[in-house]
Amino acid sequence: MDMDKNGDEIKILVIEDDPVITEFLSTGLKYEGYKVTSRNAGRAGLEALQDGVFDLVILDVMLPDIDGFEVCRKIRSRGPDIPVLMLTVKREISDRVKGLDSGADDYLTKPFSFDELLARIRALLRRSGKMRKDKRLQAGGLVLDLETRQVTRNGKMINLTPTEFSLLELFMRHPRMVFTRETILNRVLGYDHDGGTNIIDVHISHLRNKLGDRPPHLIRTIYGTGYAFYPEGKGV
Amino acid sequence: MKAWERLSLRARLSLLYAFLLIFSVVLVGGYSYWNIWQLFISTKSSHLRARAKPVIEHWLIDNGFDKLDVPGLKLNARNALALAQDLTSRDAAAVILDGKGRVIANGRRLPEEPEAPLPQGRYVQRALSGENEVTYRSLVNGRPVLVMLIPLRPRPGSSHIFGVIQMSTSLSDINEILFRHGAMLVSLVAVILILGTGAGFWLVGLSLQDLKDLVTGCNRISRGEFSQRVPVKNPRDEIGQLAVSFNQMVDKLEAGFASQQRFVANAAHELMTPLTGLRGSLEVLMRGAQDDPAAAARLTKGMFREVNRLIRLCERLLALSRLQNAENVHKEPVVLSRFLDDFIQQAKVLAGKHPVSIQQGPYVRIEADPDLLKQILLNLLSNAFRYSPGDSPVVMGWKLLPQGVEIWVSDQGKGMDKKTLSHVFEPFYQGKSSHRASGDRGIGLGLSLVKSMVEAQGGSVSIQSQPGRGTRVSVTLPLA
Ligand SMILES: Nc1ncnc2c1ncn2[C@@H]1O[C@H](COP(=O)(O)OP(=O)(O)O)[C@@H](O)[C@H]1O
Ligand SMILES: [Mg+2]
Repeated sequence: MDMDKNGDEIKILVIEDDPVITEFLSTGLKYEGYKVTSRNAGRAGLEALQDGVFDLVILDVMLPDIDGFEVCRKIRSRGPDIPVLMLTVKREISDRVKGLDSGADDYLTKPFSFDELLARIRALLRRSGKMRKDKRLQAGGLVLDLETRQVTRNGKMINLTPTEFSLLELFMRHPRMVFTRETILNRVLGYDHDGGTNIIDVHISHLRNKLGDRPPHLIRTIYGTGYAFYPEGKGV
Repeated sequence: MKAWERLSLRARLSLLYAFLLIFSVVLVGGYSYWNIWQLFISTKSSHLRARAKPVIEHWLIDNGFDKLDVPGLKLNARNALALAQDLTSRDAAAVILDGKGRVIANGRRLPEEPEAPLPQGRYVQRALSGENEVTYRSLVNGRPVLVMLIPLRPRPGSSHIFGVIQMSTSLSDINEILFRHGAMLVSLVAVILILGTGAGFWLVGLSLQDLKDLVTGCNRISRGEFSQRVPVKNPRDEIGQLAVSFNQMVDKLEAGFASQQRFVANAAHELMTPLTGLRGSLEVLMRGAQDDPAAAARLTKGMFREVNRLIRLCERLLALSRLQNAENVHKEPVVLSRFLDDFIQQAKVLAGKHPVSIQQGPYVRIEADPDLLKQILLNLLSNAFRYSPGDSPVVMGWKLLPQGVEIWVSDQGKGMDKKTLSHVFEPFYQGKSSHRASGDRGIGLGLSLVKSMVEAQGGSVSIQSQPGRGTRVSVTLPLA
């Protein structure tokens, strides 16, 4: 999971009036390990900001009561230096200028890709110091260097293909989380990969071989479901 | 004809102008030429007559012809010659013909005296049969002469004609004058033509300049520069008026273009929102939410709603575009009470807890498209349901107006403020503080669609509303 320096969860406030967009934002962000609170109007959003502490605000421009630019200005005038990511339908370029003028830190045009949103959120959090840039992932004697893309287990160098590397990265970022083959396929090989999920079993078995992963596996098969990563080497 | 059409308007107008000029100059010149000619001829002939008359009278008396009963008295070569010689002068020749038209005496003695033309039987015959002064033109040695035939009678008015005098005088002098006159006329025509055509070409060009400016302006506009206007030099002349109405047309065009662009931008905007929901939900599902049945169920429901919203939006856009074509409106006589009774049965399905009722009006038949009428009323009812509390009543009814029938739908809902009221008919406009966050969201096309549908049937819509009190929408349609 993405954790901040203190190991606390990162809290995101979503202010968006469209229920479907709110739904996928909160579900998707929760899956990424963020704690999400949502409000469907500008005033309600501002109240939520007063009552609680948030690390980031995702703000829609078109709100039923006060528009997003106004909300952003109010957030800025109240002090806390909280990153604001604006969502808007690209209607005029001037929206962008207006958004940045009103104090938004970044700007995303609908319809946006969720991956892009996550990348922007991570960048904003890093900028505000809420999250440091991951240089390496460490668990169960494994060390993944994200910059050199080198992998070692107990100090011994292991050669992985790019797909195997992404697969291992996914598992190590989400320890103990169960992934179906379908989900692994989508996240490692892309959303529009054609062909069956058997390919995932093939990649996993290669990965296990290269890691010298013996039972009880680090990468455990969850029967009837998929796979999960257990760095401690125990528990189901 | 082809060559004529290839010419520029300026050349054509100038040519027409020149042609008119020639025509009028030739007409005036020709008339005055002919008039002068007539005047000369009549002067000449009266001159001849005046010269001849006393001589003839004397001769008649001297020879006793005035008393016809003198026996043995006859026109003969001798007495005829005397008369002919008396009548002959330096500028007039005289010949005497007898009762049968034969020449019996020629008065020419000296070479400087003019020669007489040969008599022409046709004219002589006329003179012999009693015509007093037969005048005609003839040629002597290729030179024009005026010939006058005077019948010889014993006394003026007597029907006895015993001979004819043929007097002739040269017309060369007249011809000389007329030739000079003609030459002057021709040169005048040439000068007028050159000056007039030149001036015409210049004038036409001058007045066509405005037209040229108009053409330049039009070209700019047709290239898409809708903010351009053509210059209006003089709003009172025809070209100025053309420019003014052209500019008005472009104003309309520009406004129409802008509203079209606004409409497309709005439509795209409205399409983007559900698409964002769909795309994001799908992505989140594929990233792993599909593995959590509860999350997957929530996301799929949302996606289903968004797809339905897209469909509804497309249907309305299609309906709007269909209404642009009058062929898609099929009007027929509709008995209103029967129609509404049927309609309310279907509408009750949508009403939820709202009590819906009809306030009966007089028996009327209107001219309307039943499908469109149903769509109109469904839209109005769904607004009434959506914007009023769950169980508040909605009433429909109709009444007769001088210009048609007013059908109304009234609710006791939240009503609209002035600002909303002034924009409700604009496509995609939605009132503030509306329902957007609730599941049942409008699109903002309902009332603009209603307006288009009503107007396609030759009717009109109006709304009365008070915030917090309720709304009443009236549709007026023509009677059958
Ligand atoms: N019966 C009504 N009572 C109150 N407000 C209404 C009513 N009908 C329409 N409105 C207002 O007019 C706006 C435009 O209506 P409409 O064109 O039907 O779009 P939609 O209902 O899809 O939003 C609505 O957003 C609402 O604010
Ligand atoms: Mg509506």
